[in-house]
Amino acid sequence: MAKVEYDNVWRQFVGQERAAVAGLTLDIADGEFLVLLGPSGCGKTTALRMLAGLEHPDRGDIRVDGRSVVGLEPKDRDVALVFQSYALYPHMSVRDNIRYPLRVRGLPSADQERRVTRAAELLRIEHLLPRRPGQLSGGEQQRVALARAIVREPRVYLMDEPLSNLDAKLRTHTRTELKALQKQLGVTTIFVTHDQAEAMTMADRIAVLDAGHLQQLGAPDDVYQHPANLFVAQFIGSPPMNVLAAQRDDGVLVVAGGWRMPIPKLRDAGAATLTVGLRPEAIFLANDGYPAEVLVSEPLGSEVIVNVKLGDALVKVRTGPDVRPQAGDRVGLRADPAGVRVFDRDTGVALA
Amino acid sequence: MTAIGPQAQAQVAVPPRTRPLEGGSRLEFVLMHAAFLAIAAFFLAPFVWLFTAAFDAHAQAYIRWPEQLTLDNFVQIFDRYAFATALQNSVFVAVSTMVLTVCVVSLAGYSLSRIEVRHKAWITYAILLLQTMPLSATMVPIYGLARELGLRNSYLGLILIHSAIELPFLVWLMKGFFDSVPRHLEEAAWLDGRTKFRALFEIVLPVARPGIAVAAGLSFLSAWAEVLMVLILVDQQSMKTIPLAFYETFRTAGGYTEVQYGLVAAMGVLYVLPVMAVFFATRRLMVRGLMASTRGL
Repeated sequence: MAKVEYDNVWRQFVGQERAAVAGLTLDIADGEFLVLLGPSGCGKTTALRMLAGLEHPDRGDIRVDGRSVVGLEPKDRDVALVFQSYALYPHMSVRDNIRYPLRVRGLPSADQERRVTRAAELLRIEHLLPRRPGQLSGGEQQRVALARAIVREPRVYLMDEPLSNLDAKLRTHTRTELKALQKQLGVTTIFVTHDQAEAMTMADRIAVLDAGHLQQLGAPDDVYQHPANLFVAQFIGSPPMNVLAAQRDDGVLVVAGGWRMPIPKLRDAGAATLTVGLRPEAIFLANDGYPAEVLVSEPLGSEVIVNVKLGDALVKVRTGPDVRPQAGDRVGLRADPAGVRVFDRDTGVALA
Repeated sequence: MTAIGPQAQAQVAVPPRTRPLEGGSRLEFVLMHAAFLAIAAFFLAPFVWLFTAAFDAHAQAYIRWPEQLTLDNFVQIFDRYAFATALQNSVFVAVSTMVLTVCVVSLAGYSLSRIEVRHKAWITYAILLLQTMPLSATMVPIYGLARELGLRNSYLGLILIHSAIELPFLVWLMKGFFDSVPRHLEEAAWLDGRTKFRALFEIVLPVARPGIAVAAGLSFLSAWAEVLMVLILVDQQSMKTIPLAFYETFRTAGGYTEVQYGLVAAMGVLYVLPVMAVFFATRRLMVRGLMASTRGL
């Protein structure tokens, strides 16, 4: 159990044009489940590995419980890392794999056995103990990797996309299990993923990264409802936020060349070129709304995503399961004023 | 007739193939097997000669069933040609070379595999390029060097030189094997608390075992078969190895070289048997290693 601080951490790899991690500053509270979220190459794995000691920061400091770990070897940092590939030792049995960190630390045999059994019970893999990693399925291997991390009772758990190699159904199931497990153990956990749904469901807080820079840090609801910039707005949420060009005209917003809607209070009142973001659930189909043509309806069982053509843009609207307009129908669009997000067209920064 | 349930139906054997090949004719079948037999005969012929001539009192240069079976050839090579010394030296030098080479190339291959340097590919090629240096070109400098350092007629000299011969290729080979061991394994071991050196031993080397088997086998064979370097480094009877002993049976009456086929064959049998025994014992591991090492080529 520990709090973790990244303090202006920089890392640039030899031969790369831009830094992998640029000025990352992040505070993680004790017992928190923090998710590092971002597309491939955004620096989230590098940031994680720097905490583990597998990479060395060029500049800046990383502290655990107030003490810097930057000079320490991986073995002295008391953190456990679950790799995306699980990294199980193929020539040892599952029991020996889980026991390995305890054996290395010279724990007495009885203690080793006790801890291994407890970890195996927690993850329900007791029946797999005598087998070899090569004989296990992906999901089973992943649980063994988790058991090996748990058995050490470290200060911090690090997880590098551990669910990416699982099939979709197992992934959603394991998400809930992992979250419950973390709550039960209460250990500070840093979880890396590119899947925004994973981040939303599991995190206490999400740190969104892009191209080495921290874009936003906040609770899932916060990041979803009030994205700090266009990147975050479009990365989080499925289907993604609709993004439309807009102009200001006498106290109202004119979106996509004709759709008028009330303008929320803007931080920077002088900005002229704007981009408006509307989540699919913030748009309603109404008879007296702004006219648009339906391209296709996507029924998902519990809801329907209606794709509408608005000028040159494609807009996705989320509606109830009974609304099923056909291709070619004309519908009216109405926006929920509370759901209108405004961004600066040039910088992408959120203005409201 | 009782109905057969699905489980029983699955157990009914598929009738064995009565025709030799699906796609080809009988003629193709015969020709293909004839070709295989011819090739096999071609490669096995020297061994057939070896094992018949060794037991032949008047062995000839062609394969024939011995007119007089005898073990005298074996007795003679130990009595008159001090084969025991040669055998002893060969075994000691080959095994020591194997041990030294495996230690060196494992560490070198691991470092080369894991190091992050901008021109790593060029460094790897440079090392591999060293292997192309022909021994005949380095003969004279090695002679001079060995003499200066007092390495002639010594086990140390033989072992060092024999190890050096295959080193570049084997370092490259081991690098390839270590490349195929995912880095995450040793990183996991470091995080579990192991030092880097012990992690190499406990985690990486066991996974790279086929590679080590190949390196051990190749270095042993190379030392076992080396003639040129032994000729340069050894001129004392007590230090000779088997290839040199072979050579001695040729040098009979001055000016006129008579080959005593029986003795040569007897030496050959004892020369070839240890290698066959080692290969037989490790064949699965070796084949696995050899297949893996050629995958990326």
